Amino acid sequence: MGSTGHLSNGKLNLNLLRDYYRRELLECLDKCLGSKALVWDDALTGPFGLIAEYSLLKEHEVEKMFPLSDKGLPPSNVQNIIFVTRPKLHLMEQIAQNLLQEEHKGGFRKEYHIIFVPRKSLLCEKKLKESGVYGTLHYIEEFNLSMIPFDSDLMSMEMEGAFKECYLENDYTTMFYVAQSLMTLQFLYGIIPNIQGKGDCAKNVVDMMLRMRRELGGREPQITPQIDNLLILDRNVDLLTPLLSQLTYDGLIDEIFGINNTSVKLPPEKFVSSSQSPEDAPTEKKKIILNSSDELYGELRDKNFNAVGSLVSKKAKTITAEFDERHAAKTVSEMKHFVSKLPHLQQMRQSLSIHTSIAELIKEHTDSEEFLDSLRCQQEFINGLDTDKVNTYVEDCIGKMEPLDKVLRLICIQSYCNNGLKTKVLDYYKREIIQTYGYEHLVTLMNLEKAGLLRQSGQRHYPTIRKSLKLIVDEVNEQNPNDISYVYSGYAPLSIRLAQYHARPGWRSITEVLNLLPGPTIEEIQQIPVALRKRRSSITSSHSSVMDQKVTLVVFLGGVTFAEIAALRFLAQQDDGGTDYVIATTKIISGSTLLDSVMEKLSPVHLNPF
Amino acid sequence: CKVVNSFNEDRMEDRIEELKLAQACFTKAKNEFAKVQTEEQIKLLKYQQRLEEEMNRPYLNLSLHQTIYRLTLANNHKVAEQLRKEFKVPDRRFWWLKINALGECGDWVELERF
Repeated sequence: MGSTGHLSNGKLNLNLLRDYYRRELLECLDKCLGSKALVWDDALTGPFGLIAEYSLLKEHEVEKMFPLSDKGLPPSNVQNIIFVTRPKLHLMEQIAQNLLQEEHKGGFRKEYHIIFVPRKSLLCEKKLKESGVYGTLHYIEEFNLSMIPFDSDLMSMEMEGAFKECYLENDYTTMFYVAQSLMTLQFLYGIIPNIQGKGDCAKNVVDMMLRMRRELGGREPQITPQIDNLLILDRNVDLLTPLLSQLTYDGLIDEIFGINNTSVKLPPEKFVSSSQSPEDAPTEKKKIILNSSDELYGELRDKNFNAVGSLVSKKAKTITAEFDERHAAKTVSEMKHFVSKLPHLQQMRQSLSIHTSIAELIKEHTDSEEFLDSLRCQQEFINGLDTDKVNTYVEDCIGKMEPLDKVLRLICIQSYCNNGLKTKVLDYYKREIIQTYGYEHLVTLMNLEKAGLLRQSGQRHYPTIRKSLKLIVDEVNEQNPNDISYVYSGYAPLSIRLAQYHARPGWRSITEVLNLLPGPTIEEIQQIPVALRKRRSSITSSHSSVMDQKVTLVVFLGGVTFAEIAALRFLAQQDDGGTDYVIATTKIISGSTLLDSVMEKLSPVHLNPF
Repeated sequence: CKVVNSFNEDRMEDRIEELKLAQACFTKAKNEFAKVQTEEQIKLLKYQQRLEEEMNRPYLNLSLHQTIYRLTLANNHKVAEQLRKEFKVPDRRFWWLKINALGECGDWVELERF
């Protein structure tokens, strides 16, 4: 990972958080003396890459890194083997196996350690004891990495199971991690005075936070709060938004290719530079890091995709114009000025070519008939047209055996917009799916119903919610948006509308709607010593307007989409908004990854014919 | 979950046994829909087994839709029609299936007739 400057550009300096994690990690590592090898749980390498680069680890005598696998450890002559792992039982089994194999091999004496991320669990320790390897372990450490800073205004825990665990399995472990991370944030940035939230999980998190603060018993850092408001939203307060197709640049990249830990892997064909001969064209996927340190990407990511093309071509023109300046440069000082700009210009040109290629790839997708038809179908649903009967487009999709997640997304949207489906309609869909895609999806369908994504008809709330929160906006300006609805070309994300009303005029004005949404509404005030309170705008000073800009931390439990992030960033840029947003989430999701997490993956064993 | 278990059984009899247990559970839980579906799955498995024996082609572990699709591909329209009636496949989907399948194997004569 190159520069981290992009983390400190926001209202809240997230480099502080990153530094804090680095210190903690090194402390863990330094406990073991001598040379080390790290054995990684695969899911952790991505997040760790954003915190500590290899050279830093090397300075602390990390000589080798292996992935954790069943095959055992490759031979090495380091003094310490450190397993870095999540507290999951199946991983404990692998570790135990590895340790037993090592013992079998004998040879050079090593010391073995485990670092649990973010927490150790009793269950895991028990598992290790049962496998008879607990005694061989020297240190058992915890490294509390959970909120990973992605960008100057964005943090994610990258825990994809959060939604499923909370709403299907009633397992609130992740919520405990959230509460802990919020405590870490308060430790670094001061106590957050106002807390509001909506939903069962939000309530859970707030309760834990308040209890943890009481347990600290006043031993907290004396810092003037840098965050004014905390807003916690459950994903099940708004299950509609993530199901719709995102139409921002960022959102589309995620929907089509999938963004993981701020990087995306793309098909390489588009990125072969002209100098390369076609023979040695890369066959591996091209990995591109996406964050605001790429200036152009920072500008493009939150735009509606329809506005991306014109913006890219405008940029291309300015850059060419700036390159042409060299002909105009006559005096030495003019030349010098030009040369000093060169590196920046070249960098811009490079990123321009990357994003032109990405945009082309996306365009192939968005121009396809399947995409446009499904978009049209979604628009009909959210406008409440014909949601009460079996939709022929959905039927056709099933008939053509289009990807199951696409079909499920459409049906779930229909279910939401119709306040649940009639038993007859719902059963028809379910039967169609089972007959077409296989009986094994019965479990998935039951999961969807349990999570509330599919419902039998209930009370008619959606029309009221739609009207009072103005979710549907007819006139959208995709080039120069004037409302958050631009991110879905005409639909304003419910979750972000809630945040918007939260900032102004306040949630009290929409109490009725809040009551229609699931889960309790939470409001708490954390008292802080008078001396630490922010001084309200004093008598004069022109920067009082800057000072008054409030910082709100919005936490999405169960995931948030890039389009929603874009909408919040849009709100932060509004002059009259008066609020800056920092976003934290358990995972950045799209409709497909959300459904994927609740799907039961069953592959039938091949039947034995005898 | 019995349904999940059934997929791990590699013997036909065991799998059907497991599904029957699941069916009993669904009946107890008054989940009429799931019960009926499980019943149909058992029926489908038996059909598939018979087809495999008769035609020496793999049909097990396919969904109903895929089974009919394969049958159409193999020019076995009579059995396909039989399955369609037996499991009450809606016309619209059956047409899609037939058009796609016949298109794939290039059986334009049959497509014309249909």
